[in-house]
Amino acid sequence: MNAPINPNALPYAVPRSVLPGAAWPAIPNDLASRLLALQLQFGQSQWWPPEVIQARQFEQLRQVLAHAQRTVPFYGSRLSALDLTHAPLDRENWSRIPILSRKDVQLNRDALRSRSIPAEHGAVREVTTSGSTGRPVSILSTELPVMLWQAIALREHLWHRRDLTAKLAVIRVHPSLNAEPPDGVAMPTWGPPTDLVFRTGPAAMLNGSCAVGDMAAWLCKQDPDYLLTTATRALALARHFRRTGLSLPRLRQVRTYGEAMSADLREQCRETWRVPVVDMYSSREIGYMALQCPLHEHYHVQSENILLEILDEQGNACRDGEIGRVVISTLHNFATPLIRYEIGDYAESGGSCPCGRGLPVIRRILGRVRNMMRMPDGSTRWPDFMLAETRNDLPAAQMQIVQTAPDVLELRAVPARHFSAKDRAKLLDYMRQWAGPQFHVSVRIVDDIPRGPGGKFEEFMSLLDPQT
Amino acid sequence: MKPADTSAPPYLSALPYAPPRSALPGIVWPAVPDDAASRMLALQFQLEHSQWWPPEVIEARQFEQLRLVLEHSIRTVPFYGSRLAAAGFNPSIPIDREVWARIPILTRREVQLNASALRSSHPPPRHGAISDVTTSGSTGRAITVPVTELHGLFWQAITLREHLWHQRDLGGKLASIRSRGTGTAQYPDGLVAAGWGPSTDLIYRTGPCAMLNHACSMAEKADWLMRQDPDYLLTSATNALELARHFRRTGLRLATLREVRTYGEMLPGDLRDTCLDVWGVKVVDMYSSEEIGYMALQCPQNEHYHVQAENVLLEIVDDHGHPCREDEIGRVIVSTLHNFAMPLIRYEIGDYAEAGGSCSCGRGLPVLKRILGRVRNALRIADGGRRWPDFGLAKKYRDLPAVQLQVVQTALDALELRVVPGEGFSATDEARLLGYFRDWAGPQFRISLRVVEEIPRGPGGKFEEFMTQFGDET
Repeated sequence: MNAPINPNALPYAVPRSVLPGAAWPAIPNDLASRLLALQLQFGQSQWWPPEVIQARQFEQLRQVLAHAQRTVPFYGSRLSALDLTHAPLDRENWSRIPILSRKDVQLNRDALRSRSIPAEHGAVREVTTSGSTGRPVSILSTELPVMLWQAIALREHLWHRRDLTAKLAVIRVHPSLNAEPPDGVAMPTWGPPTDLVFRTGPAAMLNGSCAVGDMAAWLCKQDPDYLLTTATRALALARHFRRTGLSLPRLRQVRTYGEAMSADLREQCRETWRVPVVDMYSSREIGYMALQCPLHEHYHVQSENILLEILDEQGNACRDGEIGRVVISTLHNFATPLIRYEIGDYAESGGSCPCGRGLPVIRRILGRVRNMMRMPDGSTRWPDFMLAETRNDLPAAQMQIVQTAPDVLELRAVPARHFSAKDRAKLLDYMRQWAGPQFHVSVRIVDDIPRGPGGKFEEFMSLLDPQT
Repeated sequence: MKPADTSAPPYLSALPYAPPRSALPGIVWPAVPDDAASRMLALQFQLEHSQWWPPEVIEARQFEQLRLVLEHSIRTVPFYGSRLAAAGFNPSIPIDREVWARIPILTRREVQLNASALRSSHPPPRHGAISDVTTSGSTGRAITVPVTELHGLFWQAITLREHLWHQRDLGGKLASIRSRGTGTAQYPDGLVAAGWGPSTDLIYRTGPCAMLNHACSMAEKADWLMRQDPDYLLTSATNALELARHFRRTGLRLATLREVRTYGEMLPGDLRDTCLDVWGVKVVDMYSSEEIGYMALQCPQNEHYHVQAENVLLEIVDDHGHPCREDEIGRVIVSTLHNFAMPLIRYEIGDYAEAGGSCSCGRGLPVLKRILGRVRNALRIADGGRRWPDFGLAKKYRDLPAVQLQVVQTALDALELRVVPGEGFSATDEARLLGYFRDWAGPQFRISLRVVEEIPRGPGGKFEEFMTQFGDET
């Protein structure tokens, strides 16, 4: 409470009111009220003791299991054999449910879909993702998980007490925006969900598949307060700013998502820009899994959205300090319920947190890492191939691209099923199209794609000498 | 937001562990409530945060909101037009303390005399339907204040906050003893409702609520309570005190009672001790009025009160109109933040209160140490000053037989004890009582005792443990 107070920063900022004359406390519109009603619950549940949080999760998961058993063919026999819906759930009977692998999800796309999605959960849409391990999956989702997504995005701002009137710069792949350098796109607000509830400052967007030098030049022009981008890009940018002596005088925080963080990212950002990094752990098919603690560099599981287990090789829960497989169950997706789904990341389990929150702690997330790709002309860029739209019909279960020489790219593919010459030609076509004429491309069929050191899967791997 | 008190066992049906009711099938946690409940929880979310803001942030938000109230008033409320302009209010300039203090105080008498000139000619339609609240007030002069649904929404939101602050177990049973229309909820059965009431039921699943009409004897109230065996008792402060004394005398017990909730009267000095002693429970008091809504709630961790700054600006001013400092007692002046049908701006409600400093709980909401009732509830002393007496009866008076007692100051130097004697009240008891009060008051007062059949309640049905009945303040 000793720091000077900025009335525009959370938790002092006031929601937008729809009633004339009632500015404070505000009367927000229905959509914003729903998000704030969730936010009030989050504000309470984050401080609950772990056993209360878990009791509430199992109450909700019991609803999910009953629905899945009744309406999702894949789960019908799997769950009815276990007979879990007649007694309250606990850890012991929960752990009898078999793990759902990513491959299960790939192979049972249709059987995993509910035959009776509650209409009240909103419109159904398809979500496709490469995930963290290069194996694309496709699931159905309703508007309800989107609402949870938005509510947790707001929680993240609250936790980190952001100044909502500040300027946000976003560097990512924006498929629907023409946000190319040198200008990117200027937006009047931070966008949903923040501007659904609060008045915000402007945002600037840049398509993140350009060269690092272009990103840096754009950032200098924007001079933002917050930078939101992937961990790999943030690291490349910090190094670039350091090398060139450029600066971002107003920058207060680097926000990262979507990739495991390299060990020195925090240090690089501190040294280059004197700002902290705030990371989050999410995926398109699940939503938010963990947010960085407001007071520490570790993460809190978003237990209001998912049950997250960290399991050892034998399937037992990891203890404090142990690293294991991340297994996720979604609490609110009744279109394709994911129950004990092995997402493909590894994480280190944490104990309790001195901040007082009862939400479980993850010390580190060992997920996807991505190397920057060096172009034949010597510039570097972020390889965005996993986000390309055409991925869905590719016949591979898992893929990795390896840069073996300045002008050579090799696609390594683990086949999903029997692999024909036609499938191979399709992959080669895709690679050629993606890489452009400056690269020689090839396809190699492999049985397995090994993880790198520390269990990290590299969907783009560079065998060139490290950048200097 | 701060951690909940986790020292209490985590009853899953108690706040802050109880989830709201969900409107979506298959979803129990976190709940997705319906639109009306979401609106209420969106307000609650704001209240959760603003309570921890530093005082200067709270005051800045209040003045932002009051600027809208003044702007509306100068435009649509005839009474205020010239008054605010004369005070130098300019809608285009932010309000600060100095500007604010120039606005004249609005007396209860002015509200009575200007009933129609105080009504807004254009209350915003979106603030909802308007209903009239008529209140006798503690001084007996009735006033009528039109209020909007928005005003009601804040009433409900603060009702919920009060449950949250005191971490109530919503699955518990609530018993409420209060005055009701003749024939309603009468002894011996009273009336049992399925939920605690609209503010709570809108959001949560609650336990039953048993209601009893206040118009019956203490023995009958006790009998009814025994049969109801409630977790919470909601009643007026003096009623709670008399009940506790009755239970002590008869040796009856309320096995599951967890808390006594009081409202509407100044708290007798010995109520907290007596309830703790007899039932082993704490008293939680609140300060509200129908025309204003909630003005202050008891702190979750202390016995003093926090002003409900999201609903009212509450000032405590001395006889010269200057703000009281910590520990000083002065007149309560309130301004409503959201009633655009009849904005009450610097309204002197008629109560006195003692200003507090900051609170150990960390909340930035201003502190009221005590709420002292009316000026006629103050003891006048020879130098012209006033004191709000605390007789400390809980300890001294516990072995006396049943009496109802009122102390009346009949002259600057005279106190009269009015006593309704119970069974077995003897001459010795009378002498002890007189002796105690002579001791308490000191030699400058003459003490007399008068046996009466009944002690009439004051305006609004409120019992007054102490009152003055001389001079011009009766």
